[in-house]
Amino acid sequence: MLNLKTITLTLKKKSQIALEFDELIPDNIYNWEKSDFEEYQVPVGNSRFPLTDYFDIDVEGTAESPEEVKMILDGDMGRVKYIGSKMGAGEIIVNGDADLHCGAEMIGGKITVNGDAESYAGREMKGGELTIMGNTREFCGCSYIGDWRGMSGGKITIQGNAGKQLGECLSGGEIYVKGDCDILAGIHMTKGFIQIDGNVTRWPGGQMKNGNILINGRLGTLLEGFVQDGVVTDPDIDGKAFSGKYIKYTGDIALNGKGGLYLNAEKNRDLL
Amino acid sequence: MEYILKNGIVYDPANNVAGEKKDVMFKDGKIVDNVSSDAKILDVTDKIVMPAGVDPHAHVAGPKLVTGRIYRPEDSRKGVTAKKGVCRSESGFSIPSCPATGYRYSRMGYGTVTEAAVPPLEAKHTHEEIMAIPNVDVTPLPLFGNNWFVLQYVKEGQIEEIAAFISSWLKIVKGYGIKIVNPCGSEAWGWGMNVHGIDDPAPYWDVTGREMVRALSQANEMLGLPHSIHVHPNDLGHPGNFPTTVGTMDCVKDVEKNSSVRNQTIHITHAQFHSYGGTSWRDAESGAGEVADYVNKNKHVTCDVGQVTLDETTTMTADAPMEYDLSRLNGLKWANKDIELETAAGLVPFIYSGKAPVSSLQWAIGLELFLKIEDPWQVCLTTDHPNAGPFIRYPRIISWLMSNQRRQEMMDNREVHPWSHKRTSLATLDREYDFNEIAIITRAAAAKIYGYQDRGELTPGYNADIAVYDLNPNDIDPSKEPAAIEQAFGNAMYTIKDGQILVKDGEVVQIKPSQTIWTNVQGYEEQEKMIMEKVMPTFNTYYTVKFENYKVHDHYLPNPIEVKVQASK
Repeated sequence: MLNLKTITLTLKKKSQIALEFDELIPDNIYNWEKSDFEEYQVPVGNSRFPLTDYFDIDVEGTAESPEEVKMILDGDMGRVKYIGSKMGAGEIIVNGDADLHCGAEMIGGKITVNGDAESYAGREMKGGELTIMGNTREFCGCSYIGDWRGMSGGKITIQGNAGKQLGECLSGGEIYVKGDCDILAGIHMTKGFIQIDGNVTRWPGGQMKNGNILINGRLGTLLEGFVQDGVVTDPDIDGKAFSGKYIKYTGDIALNGKGGLYLNAEKNRDLL
Repeated sequence: MEYILKNGIVYDPANNVAGEKKDVMFKDGKIVDNVSSDAKILDVTDKIVMPAGVDPHAHVAGPKLVTGRIYRPEDSRKGVTAKKGVCRSESGFSIPSCPATGYRYSRMGYGTVTEAAVPPLEAKHTHEEIMAIPNVDVTPLPLFGNNWFVLQYVKEGQIEEIAAFISSWLKIVKGYGIKIVNPCGSEAWGWGMNVHGIDDPAPYWDVTGREMVRALSQANEMLGLPHSIHVHPNDLGHPGNFPTTVGTMDCVKDVEKNSSVRNQTIHITHAQFHSYGGTSWRDAESGAGEVADYVNKNKHVTCDVGQVTLDETTTMTADAPMEYDLSRLNGLKWANKDIELETAAGLVPFIYSGKAPVSSLQWAIGLELFLKIEDPWQVCLTTDHPNAGPFIRYPRIISWLMSNQRRQEMMDNREVHPWSHKRTSLATLDREYDFNEIAIITRAAAAKIYGYQDRGELTPGYNADIAVYDLNPNDIDPSKEPAAIEQAFGNAMYTIKDGQILVKDGEVVQIKPSQTIWTNVQGYEEQEKMIMEKVMPTFNTYYTVKFENYKVHDHYLPNPIEVKVQASK
């Protein structure tokens, strides 16, 4: 990724009330000088405070467009919400934890969180890449509350574990979880792909209509709405090749769903 | 305070003023003939001046709206603005917050709106919400078409009792007139059923929609209420429903009008949803021709359209069985409510897409009704807000009505699905509304239909409710510039309400508490006393609230406009 301008924000004071960073995305700030950041007031609750109250700011290089921007957020961002929300291009690296809605409604570009991300990471994501090196909590890659339209594009990778309702209402894009996952991954999903390498507590694909979920670990409890189609070897799913034996299910028949659920046959022998 | 709106081009259809350059004067909140030399001059040279808009049918206050806001947070996050000037923050698109509702009507130059479905049991809440809506006066219409007492008296053929009940209940709930929704159908829904035609009886009552509509119409005329019965006929939204609609209009043809302030004896609401031909959605087609034809031949009928605006919106109606059907059709979330002894309600989100054949057909049928009904005094502009689209789309609908070119373009370049012209006659209609006809369908006709004696016209003595739009009618060809029409009607240059300037250059500059318009029938006290004695045992047996907690007390209407009507036989 070409990055000509590096903006480094180093946390010097953590706020008890979350700071909101949805205005500080490469699309808006690619041509900001250091002085612009020093003048900027960041929303905190129902007020705004100078960004310099919380961060040391360093700007290097120049950028003609958002693609050329790399933002580095150094420190514990556990009370910084909406990091990279609605971003369309460029790169954001968080060297620490991120608070709620990290990468929500993201359209393009790349976010890397070198720590944990709170709930709602990648909510309604449409494009781009979100990588979480640690764990994330509930509703990763989900819809807005009440809505039936979730993440529709892009890619989320979680190196650690994911919480409940991962990829709720997923209608496109890919989610990879390297660790374990809690209940109801892919609930209401209609399209897209979820791969979980660790163990899953229970009920993946509840009320799914379409799309595919692949689980390489052990599944606690399967929902009744899934019908076993048999064992497949080295399946090809959405153009991606996988090696090994998988138990293939179709569901959720409660909704006349045609979704695919693949369970590692070795780890889930009891279901055979 | 005295004002002169100087040199405007005035459209005041009630006074046969159609595009005349003249001054409009007002003093102390009322239109006047003359003002002194101290009067403040507002220069509106060559701008359109009309009475403020009157919306005859929308859903803006009451429990349905609150349910809608609670269960559709995804709608509330649209249209969010920060507080600015005199305005509080706004939120929502199809179900805006209460302040936003008031501001948005004001910005369009509207001054009055009817809340078209008030369950009497929830009337208190409706009035509470009206208090939270600024800038527009609200006319609440209580629901009577599925009420157990009415069903009972219709069954017994006691029209006198119904009249006394209505007269009494309008006082109890502070309502303006009689609203009927899917008569007998919402009652049937309590048993998981519906009625289809007007001759289907409600289960356990053996009373039909036809009998309900006729009886309520007779009672309405017996009391001489300012508004006729306001009817949402049976079978809403179902292919092949137009004969039911025509039948509903026809069933009160012989009922004699008993009011000098209106022309009709029945008002059919959101006629678009009731003008479908065919037998199923596979072979559905327009029935607008037949409905419009009946309206053209019969002066006892008026209607509003319920124009589909091709948006994502929230449907909400007391026609609960229809909402159940709709939720099965689109698979989205559904809320349902039973209002004991009185009615029911349902809500479903809906996406009207130009790509979808059915939405496009509905869009075209609505426009067909506008274009085929010859007398603009018999038709009003509504979207049945928020059912067919939010009210903020009225300016867009005006631009469609004024520009045949725009309509043809939408069909030609596939902004709407080919069903819009293959299954309707819209493509053959080249009628274009002029500014005077727009003034009729958006204010004058609605005011006449409701029998308002204080608004909807620029007659001296009437409220100074005035809208000014930044358009020179001699300069613009609406047919060629629909976008400019939409822009101007959506952002009034001035909205004046009771003589106060609420909007200037599209911005709300002043907030005014809204007023509630209700009807107080006089001279029926004996009959009312008698009916209350008859009703109370049933009320005490079956209602879960005490009567003392049911009644809407005066403090729920801090700013009432009481319309006194002398009951006459």
